[in-house]
Amino acid sequence: MSLGFLDRDRSIAPAGYSRWLVPPAALAIHLSIGQVYSFSVFKNPLLALHGADGSAWNLKAVGYIFSIAIAFLGISAALFGAWLEKAGPRKAMFFAALCFSIGFFVASAGATTHNLALIYLGYGVIGGIGLGLGYISPVSTLIKWFPDRPGLATGLAIMGFGGGAMIGGPLANQLMAHFKAAGQPSIPYTFITMGAIYFVFMMFGVFTIRVPAKDWKPEGWTAPVRQSALISKHNVAVAQAWKTPQFMLLWIILFTNVTAGIGILEQAAPMIQDLFKGVISPTAAVGFVGLLSIFNMAGRFIWASCSDLLGRKVTYFVFFTLGAVLYFFLPLTRLDHLNSVTLFVLISAVVISMYGGGFATIPAYLKDLFGGYNVSAIHGRLLTAWSTAGIVGPLIVNGILDHYVANKLPKQDAYPLILHIMSGLLVVGFIANLFVKPVSEKYWLKDSETLTPVGAAH
Amino acid sequence: MTEVKKSSPALIAAAWVIVVLPTLWGLNYTVQNALKIFAKPAPAATAPMK
Repeated sequence: MSLGFLDRDRSIAPAGYSRWLVPPAALAIHLSIGQVYSFSVFKNPLLALHGADGSAWNLKAVGYIFSIAIAFLGISAALFGAWLEKAGPRKAMFFAALCFSIGFFVASAGATTHNLALIYLGYGVIGGIGLGLGYISPVSTLIKWFPDRPGLATGLAIMGFGGGAMIGGPLANQLMAHFKAAGQPSIPYTFITMGAIYFVFMMFGVFTIRVPAKDWKPEGWTAPVRQSALISKHNVAVAQAWKTPQFMLLWIILFTNVTAGIGILEQAAPMIQDLFKGVISPTAAVGFVGLLSIFNMAGRFIWASCSDLLGRKVTYFVFFTLGAVLYFFLPLTRLDHLNSVTLFVLISAVVISMYGGGFATIPAYLKDLFGGYNVSAIHGRLLTAWSTAGIVGPLIVNGILDHYVANKLPKQDAYPLILHIMSGLLVVGFIANLFVKPVSEKYWLKDSETLTPVGAAH
Repeated sequence: MTEVKKSSPALIAAAWVIVVLPTLWGLNYTVQNALKIFAKPAPAATAPMK
């Protein structure tokens, strides 16, 4: 079967094609792959499965499924970013959908045969590659369609990744309940159904996405003559970009912001119950996690849109100053101090909105510094900061909690230390942001090089 | 001069509906759960006074 219809040349928008059709295409991909954030709904059902010999999996082994998926998200985004620039968003989205769905199908076989390695391979490795491809595929296209509002455009798409768990969680729960009631194997059938539903939904994105024609610009819009020195009119190729100090500084910015956010997200439900013992029920704690997911999603859109007005550097300064202060004061809201659940929830919601905002604003920051030429590929490499934070964040949180539990110290006393470490990390991010300067001329792409591009021609 | 055919507003609206509908469904489910955090815990059952 020829896949020529997926080529970049075949997805160039005809004149008159509305750019407002592009964000729904990107959202279809991100709302689907964002399902990974709700993977925890499968944990207990997977633990309840037994093999033919009566064996069962433990929590740690099941927990690796999510970790492998996130690790492969970062790896595939870094590896395939340059390919994506050449192949175009439609082909990348198609393969993202294929990998994501096949991942579910393979995982279904793993659940049926009680073979965890098959679930690691399916949902973790194959699905994880789908996540990485899907995450970066619409970014540069959106930036090209919205040169006047790059933050808003990427915020819209990346908001979908935050919101994907809100759909994936209840969808999985309802499907599992349905198959269980029908006397069918609930997890394997749920995996197959979700794989099929997400494939169809992602295909909507694949066939709706278009790249703008060369030299296209929004009607009546002209590039501003005077703008911030941090918004470059020059392009930097991915091979050069990742060697610049700016890339390293942005890597630190993303890493610190994500690690701090994980400090709360990783332990949200137990944390609120430990800090307000006897006041917060397990059901209310689940509600708290849901509330955080709403603010995580909203923050992606709101902060990224605000960054178009404030500038990226100022936006991250807000994250790192306000965030550091809020993380520092968050433990003071607990039962034996201010005893305010409302204040605790409010502060947590604001800091999680900035965690999401950090994710959504970074592509526009990259575009400002390195130009739009290879922004997806550069973004892909930068996402290794997320994978690293995904390992370091839980290590800090669980390491400290384990230490307190092992030494029979009150668990609630561990949280101030954890949150103060996260506050300190945000100060590191502040310093990194302070050092961000325009990219040196020696890294700029020469005009002659852009005639035979490594990546996007338009 | 050739006339440029613009995307129909109905098509644009339909594309947004496709992504907004499942999002609203998920949002509603999440908000319903999130509200439980502010709900007062049910009072413990007490024995009737004799």
